[in-house]
Amino acid sequence: MKIKKMLVVLSAITLLTSSLAACGSNNAKESQPTSSPTSTSTSTPAKEEKPSGPLVTLTVEIFDRGIQGQPDMNNNTWTRYINDNFGKQNNAIVKFVPVPRSQEVDKLNVLMAAGEAPDISFTYDVNTVHRYAKMNGIMQLDDLLAEHGKDLKNYLGEKVLSYGKYNGSQVAIPAKRTSLAWSGTFIRKDWLDKLGLPLPTTRDELYNTLVAFRDKNPGGVDGVIPWGLATTGMNYNTGNLPESFWEEQPEKEFVTAESWGWLRPGNKEALKFLNKLYNEKLISPDFALDKTAQQVDADVTNGKVGFFSANWDYPLRQKISEPLKANVPEANYIPIDTFTNYEGKHKKIAYNENGINVIIPKSSKNAELAIKYLDWMSSPEVLSFLQYGEEGVNHNIVNGIPQVINQTGDNMQTSYMNLDYTLVVNGVELGDPEKNIKALAASAPGLEEVAEQSYKINTTDTYTLYYFDTPNESKIKFGKTLEDMNKQMTDKLISCKPSEFDNLYDKMVTEFMAAGGKAVMDENVKIYEAMQANK
Amino acid sequence: MKAVLDIEANATINRKTRKNNFIQAIKRDYLLYLLLLLPMAYMIIFKYAPIYGILMAFQDYNIFQGISGSEWVGLDVFKFIFEQNSFYRALTNTLVLNFLDLIAGFPAPIILAILLYEIQFKRFKKITQTVLYLPHFLSWIIIGGIVYLLFSSNGMANTVLNELGLGRIEFLSDKTNWLIMYVFVGIWQNAGWGTILYLAAITGINRELYEAADIDGSSRLRKIWHITLPGIKPTIIILLILQVGRMLSIGFDRPYVMGNSLVIENSDVISTFVYRVGIGSGDFSQATAVGLFQSVVGLVFLVTANYIAKKIGEQGIW
Repeated sequence: MKIKKMLVVLSAITLLTSSLAACGSNNAKESQPTSSPTSTSTSTPAKEEKPSGPLVTLTVEIFDRGIQGQPDMNNNTWTRYINDNFGKQNNAIVKFVPVPRSQEVDKLNVLMAAGEAPDISFTYDVNTVHRYAKMNGIMQLDDLLAEHGKDLKNYLGEKVLSYGKYNGSQVAIPAKRTSLAWSGTFIRKDWLDKLGLPLPTTRDELYNTLVAFRDKNPGGVDGVIPWGLATTGMNYNTGNLPESFWEEQPEKEFVTAESWGWLRPGNKEALKFLNKLYNEKLISPDFALDKTAQQVDADVTNGKVGFFSANWDYPLRQKISEPLKANVPEANYIPIDTFTNYEGKHKKIAYNENGINVIIPKSSKNAELAIKYLDWMSSPEVLSFLQYGEEGVNHNIVNGIPQVINQTGDNMQTSYMNLDYTLVVNGVELGDPEKNIKALAASAPGLEEVAEQSYKINTTDTYTLYYFDTPNESKIKFGKTLEDMNKQMTDKLISCKPSEFDNLYDKMVTEFMAAGGKAVMDENVKIYEAMQANK
Repeated sequence: MKAVLDIEANATINRKTRKNNFIQAIKRDYLLYLLLLLPMAYMIIFKYAPIYGILMAFQDYNIFQGISGSEWVGLDVFKFIFEQNSFYRALTNTLVLNFLDLIAGFPAPIILAILLYEIQFKRFKKITQTVLYLPHFLSWIIIGGIVYLLFSSNGMANTVLNELGLGRIEFLSDKTNWLIMYVFVGIWQNAGWGTILYLAAITGINRELYEAADIDGSSRLRKIWHITLPGIKPTIIILLILQVGRMLSIGFDRPYVMGNSLVIENSDVISTFVYRVGIGSGDFSQATAVGLFQSVVGLVFLVTANYIAKKIGEQGIW
């Protein structure tokens, strides 16, 4: 009984506080109902214009990235814009539900199980979407989209939307991804120059360069790290080195092997090469213990690292570029394309055109409003404000290209181009691919050239993950376990003793296949064949 | 006939007095019972009420339909678990880590308690005690960070070793070393806190025994061996039984924070397994089934340990 009473009181408080926030008074924080009396009386006129029924609260998931100095996720420039321009018109309050970025799926699972998932939930993990769809826990959106999402449909297009289908019906709305580069490799140009070395163009040249970094320590630092690495799965990676070892494979075999390389011809040599580097002290010694990549970030920004591979824009990111500039002003990371394969190409993975998957749980009572929200968001002016904010405050226009001004506090964007708030797009959206890339480069003041070059390198010779139009049951079941195993295997094989390598590789791959790897691949083959037959 | 009536009358009187006694007992100690209410509520809400969730272990649990709407699958979930190699790995690791903790970690607080008790200088004793308790209040996340800073290959310990010309030791990435570190850090955190019960038990020992021993001229070690240790034996046995009963349950944070992908073969335990399949993959049926298995085996251990303790003439926990 008590619990019920508590619930009533709680919901009353929430309603009260959230209705205050919606009145758009800038100083009334949601969490401070004490400041209520004054702000209600001042902003009542706005309410009187809309007497149509009680306010609806639309809940929207938001990633909490735990960035230093970030504003209240529910009360900042962006949420106020959303509430003023969408909320008021629809007699609704848009309320954001923070979810820690690193526990994306874990937290969503719990919210879904409790029936408390936000009206607009999302995940990058397609597997999770399929699992929910299979359990019949998320809405089918075809009709809703047709009725309330015309602009949204036009904006995303058939291709992007097709990534959100499960057995033919639309269960997720994928965001449009405007920049497709995934990962990139970077080297300290100033170190190369100091040693009089050219840009390495093959694996062997890179090896010699790394040895030179180790032996000659061109930066004169304590504990030079020729190749900086963290545990697998944390931004830092081995780039397209494995791809350069892979031999030719028929398309069917290539695409059905998933993103793992374990059975690909040549993959063993790739890891052996990395193992050699590690044992010759060319790779971060404790990379496998660096579970948050904090150590390697510190090493990079302290100028100890000569070469690394991470997201294509990693050295442009504020958290790297600014401390690096302060600590080691002469440090100059430039993108390179070193890993050449048997055909002389620099094969590397790129993203498909889809980004985050927005889903609406069955428990939601505001599905229509949710679609309207996304539809509203897909209009150019809304996107432009959410990505670039106000001219003179958040950006300046130079040569027709907006230049971002980094902000703190209220105006701060906690994610790149505010992508956590703009759920329909991932990357700059100025309505023109050329312009987008220019604008992308402009987001790294002082490093525009590096950005443009890196983007160019990392969108050439690319392949993308194959999209299977039918969900893979085995993958739903074993996916997470395999993903974890995959990371552990990579870490282990890189750091084991060279004499143990061969046995360990074979043993672990056998285990991996037995733990579900084979089942997933077999099912992929079936789906692939069915898709080919239907063509 | 009369006798029968008498007996019946007696019985009613008895019943009446018993009822009266009961009411009286409540009246007399109602404040104590009131105090008991809160812990009772805690036990019912947090320990008994969730038990119905065990049903999930026998279902293909659908997070959106709940227990009432999910399909029953009998023992399929258990079959699936027992077919997985990673489950056996988690099971073995749990047993190994707990066993090591038992061997090395269990005697530590006993020894420490005796040492503390023998300290004559009161003030020093108090300070030592406080310092020893402190690590207990640190979260494993913090401890994990400290361990990493001290023992990683560029950490303080290795830097010192290296400067002394002794070479580096892979404290955290070599399996055996990692096991030692795991146990050692566990002792560091918990030994101090564990002394509280033993110290209380030691204080309960009759002082006259020590005085008698003094008069007989026995040494300090003799006194510890013949008076202190036998005096706290019942406490030791009970704590031992409890610890054995917990053989299969293991905290989540210690192995999770201390572990890394190079020692995963030793650090993946049941709790991390449950976290991965249950929360990570959203397979609540599997997680529940493992939890149930864990409890059942734990109960068997507990009962056996208790039985053995009673057999060898000690007091059990029931």
